[in-house]
Amino acid sequence: MSMAFQIRDCSLIARMAGVRSAMNLRELEERIAVCPDESLFHHFCETVIRPTFDNPDYNNDFAMWTSRYLQDRKLAERLAVINPYKCSSIDELRKLVLEIIQERLMEVDHIPWAPKKDQFHFLRSVTVVYDTGLILNSPVDLFERLPEVALGSVYYHFVEARRRTENGLDDFSNWLSEFGDGALPLIELLHEIDFYFMSLSELKLKLVDIVNRSEVTNAFK
Amino acid sequence: MPSSRRLVDYEPIIGSVSTSKLKQVAGDLAGMKVVHVNSTREGGGVAEILFWMIPLMRDLGLNASWEVIDGNPAYFNVTKAFHNGLQGNRVSLSDSMKAAYEETLETNAERLRPVLEEADYVIIHDPQPARLLQLCPNRKGKWIWRCHIDVSQPNRQVWNYIRSMVDGYDASIFSMPEFAKTLSHPQFIVAPSIDPLSEKNIPLSSDEVLSVLTQFNLDPDRPLITQISRFDRFKDPVGVIEAVKLLNSAYNVQLVLAGGGATDDPEGSAVLAEVQQAAEGVENIHVLLLPPDAHRIINALQRASTIVLQKSLQEGFGLTVTEAMWKGKPVIGGNVGGIRLQIHNSHTGYLVDSPEGATLRMHNLLARPELMTRLGTTARQFVLENFLCNRQLREYMTLMLGLKRGLANHLMAS
Repeated sequence: MSMAFQIRDCSLIARMAGVRSAMNLRELEERIAVCPDESLFHHFCETVIRPTFDNPDYNNDFAMWTSRYLQDRKLAERLAVINPYKCSSIDELRKLVLEIIQERLMEVDHIPWAPKKDQFHFLRSVTVVYDTGLILNSPVDLFERLPEVALGSVYYHFVEARRRTENGLDDFSNWLSEFGDGALPLIELLHEIDFYFMSLSELKLKLVDIVNRSEVTNAFK
Repeated sequence: MPSSRRLVDYEPIIGSVSTSKLKQVAGDLAGMKVVHVNSTREGGGVAEILFWMIPLMRDLGLNASWEVIDGNPAYFNVTKAFHNGLQGNRVSLSDSMKAAYEETLETNAERLRPVLEEADYVIIHDPQPARLLQLCPNRKGKWIWRCHIDVSQPNRQVWNYIRSMVDGYDASIFSMPEFAKTLSHPQFIVAPSIDPLSEKNIPLSSDEVLSVLTQFNLDPDRPLITQISRFDRFKDPVGVIEAVKLLNSAYNVQLVLAGGGATDDPEGSAVLAEVQQAAEGVENIHVLLLPPDAHRIINALQRASTIVLQKSLQEGFGLTVTEAMWKGKPVIGGNVGGIRLQIHNSHTGYLVDSPEGATLRMHNLLARPELMTRLGTTARQFVLENFLCNRQLREYMTLMLGLKRGLANHLMAS
């Protein structure tokens, strides 16, 4: 008997990470080296759930800040192309970011500075989790109810789950694996989604598209 | 007096999902005694927030109350100096000023101590009541300092004095990361919000809006530019007049500078005189000093506006920006403080750094009515999703829950 899946929703509450703000690229390097793991996660992975109007130019706050306030688009592009979910750990992500910044520090003649009012502030978040009252008992329930779930639910179960689950996978895949071989094609399609560079609306559309494919739905008829 | 509104009154606006989230967070806080303390019952953004927050906390099962510091003119002069100093003005803090502040709070502490020491949570708003923590040594609950002011570049002497009083709190809340200072407790970031059902924000009939225009000799057929704020130099009312003077006269605009005085702001009358002098002899400028309870008049003026300005030079958050956005108005705001959280250039309005910038953006908007509609529509939706009171209330209660259970990466609301 498979477990029921409780759809949850979430929001963030931000707090200061306890690291001094950075005013220039050298300070950014120094503070990234010592900031808490949760702060790196916030600035790389929680950007997607913050309010925005359109797809931001850059998916992480470091790239955004170096472009907008240090006026260093080359560095911004190098940082922006990082997909944190390709790193095996936050430590690996930290090393990668530091390498890129250190390389840039070697290249530039002058350390770029931001205006005083536009320093980089290191934050971290508490993820507040809510019950939505929506319970899925089978993959068919997932196919039918996915269009109505909130973007906060998409973030919590498909994105944020990766730091919460033991195997680093999303909640849907882990739950579907309880339904035997028939669920494998769907799980594989979910694993193929390159979600980091999508907005949550785009990700939800992608998920809905996948669960509506005939090869997926036919397996559960 | 706090409002009598209940959560059910908000549900048609915020939706059942948002209501459910509030109830889930409040569940574990039911019956807790929460005391808010500030320095004025009327006037200013803090009083407006507490006006709706207290009844909603009560409706959600918390035992919430609101206490106000009873101060004399000397105390308010000192706290105004604090306010100015924290916003970066040169202020000299003498021993006699400190004594006036400390004596007032010692007197107030005699009255408030039993309530504050028994409370599960005490939320102290701004520096005016900050010293109460030191005067309540037998407190049993969590104390939170809520700083509504932009303290990003404070006067050092003033900040050191305030810091000595707030460092001992269990947590603090700032409106933006830029405002947070290094303190020895967790610092949370919670943006303020507006109450969509307050007199200042509820929908009004067109007849009521028209009657307000008539009352102040404003022409309903001419474009109306409005800035609503206290008469305070940080709001740059004189810069607004300069910006409108630079505008092409063909637009035939009329400018309203309207504001009330807060009971804790003794400088207001001096700034009002400066504004009246700058407006002297200009036919299309209307300077209105409104009483603190003129909420419906402000509402009507915002609704009648073609464009709303908030050309602040320094700003804590700028609730008047939120109010205008909620009414679907294009807003031109100073590129400072919390205004930058709300106005996203070309999406919900425009940010400017000078009177000339404000003039340029007014030109852009007045020449393109469809642009004004688009910005206004996006602005209203942005406020609905991010800056209504349910979000702020939820974050306050989440923080309280976090302090109760211990701060972890995840917090189950229910």
